[in-house]
Amino acid sequence: MTLPADPRIQLVPASRFTVEQLTTLYNQTRVDYLVPMPMNAARLAEYIRTYDVDLDHSLVACQGDEVLGLAMLGVRRDRTWITRLGVLPSTRRHGTGQALMEGLLEQTARLNIKFCMLEVIKDNTPAHTLFRKMGFREIGELLVLRRSPTLPPPDPVIADAQPLDPVEALDLVGRNRGTQPWTNQSETLNNARDVSGLNVMLPDGSHGWLVYQRQKFTLTRFAYKTDVGDPPTVAMAFLSHLHYMYPRLDTQLENIQINDPHLPALYKAGYVEAFRRIEMWFGDPPKSLLS
Amino acid sequence: MIKILLIEDVVDNIELTRKILVSAGYEVVHASEAEAGMEQAVSEQPDLILLDLGLPDYDGQTVAGWLSADPRTAAIPVVAYTAWPEATARQMVTSYGCVGYIPKPILKVNDFLTQIASFLPSQQEYDPSR
Repeated sequence: MTLPADPRIQLVPASRFTVEQLTTLYNQTRVDYLVPMPMNAARLAEYIRTYDVDLDHSLVACQGDEVLGLAMLGVRRDRTWITRLGVLPSTRRHGTGQALMEGLLEQTARLNIKFCMLEVIKDNTPAHTLFRKMGFREIGELLVLRRSPTLPPPDPVIADAQPLDPVEALDLVGRNRGTQPWTNQSETLNNARDVSGLNVMLPDGSHGWLVYQRQKFTLTRFAYKTDVGDPPTVAMAFLSHLHYMYPRLDTQLENIQINDPHLPALYKAGYVEAFRRIEMWFGDPPKSLLS
Repeated sequence: MIKILLIEDVVDNIELTRKILVSAGYEVVHASEAEAGMEQAVSEQPDLILLDLGLPDYDGQTVAGWLSADPRTAAIPVVAYTAWPEATARQMVTSYGCVGYIPKPILKVNDFLTQIASFLPSQQEYDPSR
C-alpha cells in the first residue's frame, strides 16, 4: 500500500478488485468526461490484456470505505504507461488525481523503470495541468480518426495486394516503424486477436504494408509502413484494397501522429478526425522506443 | 403509436428521457449496449432511434454506420444523443449518416420534444394536444 501526501487517501492495488468492479468505478469517473468512453467488463478485460495493463501495479484510491478513483499502469520491459486515470466527480479537487499519479510514478520506480508515457485529450486542461505538474512534457499531437462504413470504398488503385496471415503480419509489425505511442507499439498488435495484413506492390515498384485488427463491427489498430515510394500513394493502395474487402466495417484509428506522412491518404479515403490527444513523456526514452 | 428506440447506457439519462417521451405519448423501447441496440433496431423497426455516442461495447458511431448500411434499418432516422462538443458531434453526425443530433443534458423538455418531432417523418409529427 502506498501512502501519498494526503494521508486520508489510501492507494490500493487494482488487483484487489474484480474487473467488473473496476469497470463500474471507471464508468463512474467518466460520466461527465469531455469525450465519454464507457466500457463493459469484457471491453475493459480486452483493454487490460491488449495494452499490458498490470493490475498489481495499478491503483485504486480510497478513503475509508469510500472509493474515490483509479489509475492503471501498463508495463513493457523498460517503459510504463499511465491510462484510465479518473476520479469520481463528487470527490474531485481534493488531491486524489495527484495522489494516483504520484503512486503510479512510484510504482514505475519500484519496477526500476525510468520512463513513463501517457496521452491526454486535447483541451482536458485539468488533467493536462496535473501531468505537467508531475513532470511530464509534451511530445506531440495524436489524432483519433474514423471512417464510416456508409462511405463507398476509395477508388481502386492498381497494385498487387497480397494478404498476410497473422504470423507474417506480426513479423512486419516488429520491424522499425519509428517511435510509436503505447497503443500502436508492436506489443499491442502481438496481444490483439484477429490480426491480419496486406502487402502492396505498385507498378512503379513502390511498396509497403498494412497490419490491422478485424473485430465484429470494426477495423482497428493499424500499423503500416511504406518501404519504398511515396507514403500517401502506397497508403491509398492498401486502404483501397482494405475497404473494398470490408465495406461494412466501421474503422477506428487511435493515436495517429500528426506528422505521419500517410495522413493525406487517410483523409482522401474518407477518414475524419474525431478528436485529438497530446502525448506526454516523463524521463528519458529508452533506446528500444526510439529504434 | 410512434415508437422510439433509445440506445443509452447511463441510468439517469435513460430514466429521464423515457419519462419525457412516454409522457408525450411515444412508445419507448430501450437498449443499454450497442449490439443489443442493433438487434432491437432490426426486430422492433422503430420510427426513430435516439443514439448515445458513448456506449460500453461498441460506440455510437459504429452503431450508426451499421444501421445506415443495413437495408433492414437504413430508412430509420438515427439521431445522435450526446454530450460531445458541438463541432465533434456535427462531424460524426455528417460522417455516419445520422439525421441530426440532440445535445445532453436535456435542459428544456419542450425544446427536446420539438427536436424529436423535427426528426420524425412528416406524417408522424409530434402533436402535443394528442
